[in-house]
Amino acid sequence: MKLVIGGFAQGKLGYVLNSCRPRECIVLDGSLSLSEEPGEKALVVNHLHSWIRECLLRGGHPEEEVLAFAERHPDCIWISDEIGNGIVPVDAFEREYRERTGRIQVMLAERAEEVVRVICGIGQKIK
Amino acid sequence: MMVLITGGSGSGKSAYAEELISRISGGRRKYYLATMQVFDGETRARIERHRRQRSGKGFLTIERPVAVSGVLREIRGGAVLLECMSNLAANEMFSADPPRSAGETAESILGDVAELAGELEVFVIVTNHVFDDGILYDASTMEYCKALGSINERLAEMADRVVEVVAGIPLVLKGEERICGS
Repeated sequence: MKLVIGGFAQGKLGYVLNSCRPRECIVLDGSLSLSEEPGEKALVVNHLHSWIRECLLRGGHPEEEVLAFAERHPDCIWISDEIGNGIVPVDAFEREYRERTGRIQVMLAERAEEVVRVICGIGQKIK
Repeated sequence: MMVLITGGSGSGKSAYAEELISRISGGRRKYYLATMQVFDGETRARIERHRRQRSGKGFLTIERPVAVSGVLREIRGGAVLLECMSNLAANEMFSADPPRSAGETAESILGDVAELAGELEVFVIVTNHVFDDGILYDASTMEYCKALGSINERLAEMADRVVEVVAGIPLVLKGEERICGS
C-alpha cells in the first residue's frame, strides 16, 4: 500500500501515474466503487478527501469503509489532499471533516509501506 | 532541551509529542500544560479525547489558558509538554478588550516561554500549522495568524529540535536528523 499526500493542485496524480509506468492504472476519482477487478493493473484512489467528505455527508463511517477497501486491495495507491493546514473552520461539519481526514491519513500511513508528500509535482518520500 | 512540534489538524502531532516526551524525559516528572479553554461540548470532547490518549502515561495535568509561566509557582524543573500554542495565542490575544495586537501577543508569550525554558530541563511545545489554506480572513483572524506565525518562528530559533508531523510521520526540520528527499 502506498499513500500520496500534498496540497491542492500539486501534481499528485501525475506523480503517481508517472511512478506506475509502464503499468496501466485504474483510477477511481473520489470513489471506492470498482466496476472491474484490477488484476495486473495498478489501483489508484484519487481525491480520497472528497470521498471522505461525501461519506460523512451521507452519515457513513469513512474509517471502516477505507479499512475494508484497503484489506480487499492491499496494493492500492491512495491519493489525498492535505487539508488540515489552515485556520480551524467556524463550521462544525468542516472541522469534523478536516480532523477525520487527517486521522484517516495517519491510519493509512501506519499501514502503508511508502508515504510520499508531493509539492510542485515533486515527491518527497517521508516513509 | 526544548523541542517544537508543528503540524496540521488531525496530523497526529499530539500523539507524537506524548511519545517523544516520554522517551526524552529521563525519569523526570512529566507535566501536561493544557492551554485549551472549555467553551462547549466539542471542546470538552476534544479535551476528553486528549485525556484518554494521555491516561496511563504518567502526566500531571495543569490547566493554564493564559500567562503560562505562572506554573513555575507550582513546579520546579521536570519535563513539560505545552499543548497547544495556537490556543494559547488565541487566549492571550482575544481575552483582552480590545484584543492585543500580534506584536503584543507574541511578546507576552515569548517572554513566558523564555522564562519556562530557563527553568525546565525538558520542554516540548506543540503548535499548529494554520497558514496554508490561502483564504483571506477578517482582520482580527489575519492578525492572529501573524502573531502565531511570528511566535512559531521565534520558538523554532529557541528550540534545539523542530519537528513537523505529517500523517503521523515526524519530519525533523531542525536538530540532528534532517529531512531526506526521495
